[in-house]
Amino acid sequence: MSDRLDPQRDFITIVSGLPRSGTSLMLQMLAAGGMPVLSDGVRPADDDNPHGYFEWEQVKSLKQDASWVPAAVGKAVKAIYWFLQDFPAGHTYRVIFLRRNLDEVLLSQAKMLERRGTRETSRDDRRMKLLFEQELREIDAWLAQQSAMTTLNVDYQAVLNAPAEQAARVDRFLGGGLNVAAMAAAVDPGLYRSRR
Amino acid sequence: MFEPRIKLDRELYERVKKTAERAGYSSVEEFVVHLLEKATADADRAQGKEEVRKRLQGLGYIE
Repeated sequence: MSDRLDPQRDFITIVSGLPRSGTSLMLQMLAAGGMPVLSDGVRPADDDNPHGYFEWEQVKSLKQDASWVPAAVGKAVKAIYWFLQDFPAGHTYRVIFLRRNLDEVLLSQAKMLERRGTRETSRDDRRMKLLFEQELREIDAWLAQQSAMTTLNVDYQAVLNAPAEQAARVDRFLGGGLNVAAMAAAVDPGLYRSRR
Repeated sequence: MFEPRIKLDRELYERVKKTAERAGYSSVEEFVVHLLEKATADADRAQGKEEVRKRLQGLGYIE
């Protein structure tokens, strides 16, 4: 966890989306661009995320303990969409929401479940797709009503196709000052393995 | 064509009828169908949420 606090960013940056939608890649880009990120390294890099997960475990228990949130001002933290509603009032947030083709998300999730040997979840992709579509509709509607949260939707495919352009968009959204070239250079197209 | 029917006791029917009238429904049937659709959708949604929670848990993103 970096101690540097960018005085120009008096908000918390949340990188969000469905699992396997490119959130780790975005954290990697932000870190490369000079943005302090909250990452504890508890979940080590693996075949699913060779460059690391950039996760902050305390996000998972945010509902019970939000005491770390004030220290996240000026920094970026990854939180899948499930946790967005748990962030406490009293802060302003900028949410970078990753969007990815749902068939690709499900394919990537299936590979991850296989590697993890997880069996207790439905493997019915058609059903899961409908459920995730519903989840996204609900979180989109909720985000639209949040005055303390501003959202930038970023398409995963667009990041791979035009990293410099998307890095510049993200930089503008966060008020500028990031190293856009370094952000773009952090994009490894070789990681685009789950495609349909 | 077979039309499913549901039996209600008279007292409940009268209460439902009054409520349906107060709520502006054109018939008891319209009111009951609306309630059943809503209850079914809510139950389906709760079941769906649970399936999503298990998926996220399986992926290691939630505890």
